[in-house]
Amino acid sequence: MTASDANSNGDGVPSGGAGALSGCRVLDFGWVLAGAIPGMALADMGAEVIKIETRQRLDYMRLGRPIVGDQPDPEQNPMFHNVNRNKLSVTLNIAEPAAVALAKRLAAHCDVVIENFSPGVMERLGLDYATLRAIKPDIVMASISSTGQDGPLRDLRAYAPSIGALSGLDSTMGYEGGRPLGFKHAFGDICGALHAVFAIAAALYHRNRTGQGQYIDASMLRATVATQGIGLMEQALTGRALQPQGNYDPTLAPYGHYPCAGDDQWVSIAVATPDEWRGLVTAMGSPAWADDDRFRSQYRRQRHRKELDELLAGWTSQQDAAAVTALLQTHGVAAAPVLSAEERLFHPHFIERGLYSDIDHPALGAEPIFNLMWGLSKTPSTVRRPAPLLGEHNRQILCGTLGLSEDELAQLVEQQVVY
Amino acid sequence: MLSAPYAGKLLADAGAAVVKLESPAGDAARRYGPWPGDVPHPERSGLFLYLNSGKLGITANLETPTGRSILRRLAADSDVLVHNAPPSAMERLGLDYDALAEANPGLVMASISPYGLSGPWRDYRAYDINLAAAGGINEGLGEPEREPLTFGTPAVGYFAGMAAASSIVMALLGRERHGGQHIDIAEAETMAGLYNGPEALMAVYQWRVTRRTGHHALDFPYPNCILRCKDGYVFIGAPEGRQWRRLLEIMGMPDWSQEPRLRNRTTMNNLYADEVDAYLEAWLADYTKAELLEIALEHRIPLAPVRTFDEVRNDPSLADLFVEIERADTGPVSYPGVPYRLADTDAAAPAPAPTLGQHNREVLCDRLGYTGAELVKLYQTGII
Repeated sequence: MTASDANSNGDGVPSGGAGALSGCRVLDFGWVLAGAIPGMALADMGAEVIKIETRQRLDYMRLGRPIVGDQPDPEQNPMFHNVNRNKLSVTLNIAEPAAVALAKRLAAHCDVVIENFSPGVMERLGLDYATLRAIKPDIVMASISSTGQDGPLRDLRAYAPSIGALSGLDSTMGYEGGRPLGFKHAFGDICGALHAVFAIAAALYHRNRTGQGQYIDASMLRATVATQGIGLMEQALTGRALQPQGNYDPTLAPYGHYPCAGDDQWVSIAVATPDEWRGLVTAMGSPAWADDDRFRSQYRRQRHRKELDELLAGWTSQQDAAAVTALLQTHGVAAAPVLSAEERLFHPHFIERGLYSDIDHPALGAEPIFNLMWGLSKTPSTVRRPAPLLGEHNRQILCGTLGLSEDELAQLVEQQVVY
Repeated sequence: MLSAPYAGKLLADAGAAVVKLESPAGDAARRYGPWPGDVPHPERSGLFLYLNSGKLGITANLETPTGRSILRRLAADSDVLVHNAPPSAMERLGLDYDALAEANPGLVMASISPYGLSGPWRDYRAYDINLAAAGGINEGLGEPEREPLTFGTPAVGYFAGMAAASSIVMALLGRERHGGQHIDIAEAETMAGLYNGPEALMAVYQWRVTRRTGHHALDFPYPNCILRCKDGYVFIGAPEGRQWRRLLEIMGMPDWSQEPRLRNRTTMNNLYADEVDAYLEAWLADYTKAELLEIALEHRIPLAPVRTFDEVRNDPSLADLFVEIERADTGPVSYPGVPYRLADTDAAAPAPAPTLGQHNREVLCDRLGYTGAELVKLYQTGII
């Protein structure tokens, strides 16, 4: 059964795309990053995703960095445009009971509800799962949070770096013997959001087979902890808690970043098998030191990895990072430069594969969009429309889908319910 | 090793009947560890056990025609196939999507590879550090005067696994209309795309070049860093002004905080971070991680202890994440379980990961129809 086959909405076909989720409709209260990504993924796959937002309290990401121009402009944030492409925007000031009533009416037409307010907010608004299930019995609802919908950490103010700290992720990131340095990216947000995407898709599959809806409590902490299997199993099986060890893998040597010619240029090299080691030695022109007893087996290379690192760095520091990558790969050695943001954006491989597309946004013009991290052969993800302007689809959804009259809409706008 | 097994684990946790196919030599994760009591054993590797619980296990040597025919017969009888063999390997073996879909047009096949099934880097080899380097994780990690750093333990494969599991179920949702599909997942792109989108957009729109800034944030209001406290380290952040004011109040409004040059917190971060670290660490030195977590909860300030894995395991808020799985050769061990929670669904502990070839008879005879005599011959000839 497909998503659309099970769509029981009485108002015609949702205006999503032609993808695998065509016919599926999503009510998306998600905001900022972790909350916006699941709706983005579903929209890319063809679902009609209605983003609920309000001028009363703008989605932070509309005002966040990067800032284009002299000051933040809610219509000019390229990261917001990335995680909200393909969505429709309806402005509902859900502090107003009349707006909550409209949201409930919309829920009746939806297959999925997504939110990432602080735990408890949806309940306070009267938009919790129990309420929505009474309106649409087979609804799939996903709540995304930092640390879960209940439990002692529920109300902790936590951002992506907090999740890195709490999950154990940060405890291994640093130089050997040094302090934990922490991650600079939103590992927890992306990890939590992608697990939520999976759980939503699986819940739709289950609904299509059984007619039962589902409530998903997706926490960034829980999702991030799941990616720490090695550290957690180490703790369970040996009693040891891993510490920072620099660029280290217990099975590989060399394994690290090696300096290249130029300013702050690096190549990553990793070697496991005898074939890979022979490839590396040949690529280097078979220097005498590579024959040394210390490096004769994987075991010995691992034991003498610091001396090995130094000798290898002596060779790489004479090489160009891109050229040495190509050379090593022709010899069957895993190597890649430490690419900068600009190098990634203009990288021929990523360009040829369409990792980024340029789309035209009415307020910002041509801008790069990061495509989904998967490619489907028959129903590829599509960017059908740029991210919506605030309230751009109020009329389409409130008059079209819900059947309000123009007068009713005008009145709701006047009352700042639709705001 | 990591990526495809994690996809299979997510699907198994969600109720799918997953058969894991290994070569007779076994998954490399069996040789990765860690092991109980540091005694290496292919049936006791922690990484393997974690990623493969809840699955059935069979063996087949795909370098032999008979081994390949086992895989073909299984693929013809399955909804989904997920693998992370190099792109050229499946073609060479005649096990690529086109070949398998001919017998099973409804098959959803996900191919995970380092750089994807197309493009100039298609056949490039990679381990986790290479993917993180090319994907943009590593350029900003580490001290400016030292080498860039990468993940402390392999992580990219988890993102590829999440992408595979999600897209597989989406393809299943569209299968009635579109039939089976082939899914192409490049591990490097799980990092180089959306994950590092903010860095890329800062480069495009604010001409910011990512640099390594040690434990400090790059060009961000101070504090957003990990500092030492009484018994370890703690993340301390305060993106909102009121959070910073509250923190200063708790610290007793120290004199340094009133200095004009420390008024702008981005300037503080970019020019005076080391100096202010010392002020904050002098205060933090009186508090343990547990006490700081209490302060964070009481005053709604983003403080978070940098927890080691024993502390993660003992977090009461994660008590129902961990599941105890009993396996003959390890005894009961506590594993991380399903990484999200479902209402009205008790997450039962999954079956333990299979021993090498444990379910050969069950899958090959009961499901695919090989006879007992054939099974014996397959084993004797090294095919399974």
